[in-house]
Amino acid sequence: MGEVILTMKGIDKSFPGVHALDHVDLEVRRGEVHALMGENGAGKSTLMKVLTGIYTKDSGTITYEGKEVEFHNPKEAQEAGIVIVHQELNMMNHLTVAQNIFIGREFMKGILIDDAKMNEEARKLFRQLGIDIDPAEKMGNLTVGKQQMCEIAKAISHEAKVIIFDEPSAALTEAEIEELFKIIRDLRDKQLGIVYISHRMDEIKVITDRVTVMRDGGYVGTLITADCTKSDIINMMVGRVIYEEPKTHSMVAPDAPVVLKVEHLNAGKMVKDVSFELHKGEILGFSGLMGAGRTETARAVFGADRKESGDIYVNGKKVEINSPEDAVKCGIGYLSEDRKRYGIVVGKSVAENSTMASLLDFVSGLFIDKKKEVEVTQKYIDRLKTKTPGVDQLVVNLSGGNQQKVVIAKWLVKNCDILIFDEPTRGIDVGAKSEIYHLMNELAAEGKSIIMISSEMPEILRMSDRIVVMCEGRKTAEIDIAEATQEKIMHAATLR
Amino acid sequence: MENFKNKPLIKKLGFNRIILCGVLILMYFVFSLFSGRMLGSGDIKNALNMADYLGFLALGVTFVIATGGIDFSIGPVMVCAGLIAGRLLVTFGWPLWIALIMCVVVGCLFGVLNGILVAYMGLPSFISSMASMMLAKGVGSVFTHVQNSNWPASGEANSWYKYFVTYNGIPTGLIFLLVVAVLCTIILNKTKIGRYILCIGSNREAVRLSGVDTRKWEALAYIICGTLAGIGAITYVGVITQVQPGLGDEFNNNAIASCVMGGTSMAGGVASIGGTFIGVLIISLLRVGIQAMGFRPDYQYIITGIIVALAVFADIRSSARKK
Ligand SMILES: Nc1ncnc2c1ncn2[C@@H]1O[C@H](COP(=O)(O)OP(=O)(O)OP(=O)(O)O)[C@@H](O)[C@H]1O
Ligand SMILES: [Mg+2]
Repeated sequence: MGEVILTMKGIDKSFPGVHALDHVDLEVRRGEVHALMGENGAGKSTLMKVLTGIYTKDSGTITYEGKEVEFHNPKEAQEAGIVIVHQELNMMNHLTVAQNIFIGREFMKGILIDDAKMNEEARKLFRQLGIDIDPAEKMGNLTVGKQQMCEIAKAISHEAKVIIFDEPSAALTEAEIEELFKIIRDLRDKQLGIVYISHRMDEIKVITDRVTVMRDGGYVGTLITADCTKSDIINMMVGRVIYEEPKTHSMVAPDAPVVLKVEHLNAGKMVKDVSFELHKGEILGFSGLMGAGRTETARAVFGADRKESGDIYVNGKKVEINSPEDAVKCGIGYLSEDRKRYGIVVGKSVAENSTMASLLDFVSGLFIDKKKEVEVTQKYIDRLKTKTPGVDQLVVNLSGGNQQKVVIAKWLVKNCDILIFDEPTRGIDVGAKSEIYHLMNELAAEGKSIIMISSEMPEILRMSDRIVVMCEGRKTAEIDIAEATQEKIMHAATLR
Repeated sequence: MENFKNKPLIKKLGFNRIILCGVLILMYFVFSLFSGRMLGSGDIKNALNMADYLGFLALGVTFVIATGGIDFSIGPVMVCAGLIAGRLLVTFGWPLWIALIMCVVVGCLFGVLNGILVAYMGLPSFISSMASMMLAKGVGSVFTHVQNSNWPASGEANSWYKYFVTYNGIPTGLIFLLVVAVLCTIILNKTKIGRYILCIGSNREAVRLSGVDTRKWEALAYIICGTLAGIGAITYVGVITQVQPGLGDEFNNNAIASCVMGGTSMAGGVASIGGTFIGVLIISLLRVGIQAMGFRPDYQYIITGIIVALAVFADIRSSARKK
């Protein structure tokens, strides 16, 4: 760790109805990776947006390289050498990767844009970072993980002195995270100051030097990572101890009926001859590397994508599912991994989002029964402990993790018997995560059946009764939780 | 078929642009067949005349649609420019070349107005362009005291402005339009202006977070659009000679239809100048062809409507299949 490069002191920021930051301090040194931790809605992203000029602070001071500064827009911050990789992906899907990376600072040949040079530079950048992406590919055609890597490459390509990573790993596979860590270590050795926001405890221990913890918009404290344990950090974050019991055996009754049976499903390039069964009250984990075809399988079952062949049986009866509407009629709900694109309508309120899938239940006569809508929404806000000033708050103003809870609420309101959770705890803090785990267990105990797609190995092992492993569009293994180990799953996930 | 689509040359030209060209040629023969005569040079000339001014409008509005916005004022703005410049020329005796420049200036000013309303004041483009559409009609009528602006007829003094449309039987208008279209392609695909316009249409927030002043570039799209409507006014008066106040709305629909048919997405982010150009030719030929078949022009609306819907549907299908 070198000298201090950035100090934020007494930062205060309020939104209508929310005191998002209450005198928060943060100090970053050259050559350190500084973790910023806190529950969903603690104010981490807001603090970083204040720093980079996206929001204006109400009070407090920012000192950067020895001088007091105030950035009025992201460009000023960038020019001073502070760049941020945002939590929510901000991509222009119609443009190529290279065009996205160099937006705002295109290479020019006279008055014309030099796309060839941009591709060349992007290719160089990727090679240097060890990432395999074609710069001329359209951004919209990449997986979420790859898009995230592009966003990271974009940040690095600036002549930055401070880089902020706001939950960069949420959409990445284990292998991609390894790559990311290599990149971050490189940057640290080049004496950059790095702020790293993540909810994954293991990562914090591996990659960071110091941790600053926030709670409810306030500053709790800063620790040296090596000197503290995971539970110290969690304690500071939530002010209580969280205990997680891993699953050792299946909780499903041996004679539980099959509620969903999928046979020889083929869809596109990513789903090849996939068959599986889901029992009543079961949590079926879908494991595999990113791009293994798990999401595609789920989408095909849900009718969101067209399938070429394959049969689906719900409660023993063969059903035709050709659209999400059909699926919902069969009692299937699907929680998308990409909530921004498919999960929520950001410009609408918490209540409107929560009841979106089941609006017909809230209609009395010709009109929507607002009172009932508010009541039910409030019930799920309480049950999921969603942090929002009220049911009328626009979802766009919620923190990332709380947006996820709204999506979950939507399908709980719908009361589906079969729930497909695609990366349900992406971007969710430890406290909320354990709440969601509890909730899933409760749902299963109530007799609902859950398919849980997850890229986090600990999550798979903790939650699943049975595990399906996929690799390159095929099912490569089906393992009972009693026999499951990390090694077995990894082996099946990399079978060719 | 897939192989064919993936050939580099085909990819570069754009598969659906090639299809559109096919449709254009097919239409010509269908009209020739059903009207009982080959469409002759007279019909073609009519079609090209219409394509001239419609073309400038459509090129302009392509930029606006690329940002995800819309401009309903282009037609009336073009007419308004023709009215004002015509009165300056005929009644106030301004030199012809200044009158022509005034056409462009009037168009540009309306573009600036739209740009400010949408980009800087945050009005929805739908609303603001409705407002400036009425403004354009009103200003044109007031300035001319609700009289026609009668530009000099061919053969009279000061009629060289007609050379922008035809010169000795050469369709100079088409060449003029083609040159501007090439310029527009370069601007849209090769310069910062076009890049940012497309980016804004694709994901405005991402552009803003990258430190780009989105307002400036969005406003620029409207200014380009207005200016092209002004240039369109030059060819419009060249074709029509007597400009009537209060007109112009139907040009909007035709221009926007040409764009959309050519593959420009109303949601923004995707635009094709080449597509717009062919779209304009198709719509103009449609107009003339239907008249040649002896139908009243009203039928043109019905058929245009159907063709636009089909073209957009085909486009959506082909891009959905790519996924
Ligand atoms: N633009 C806004 N308008 C109103 N409230 C906002 C806005 N942005 C953030 N908030 C509120 O400020 C608080 C802090 O949000 P922030 O996004 O900083 O949380 P976070 O710590 O990043 O959480 P997460 O881990 O879920 O991403 C939340 O209660 C959120 O609802
Ligand atoms: Mg956040």
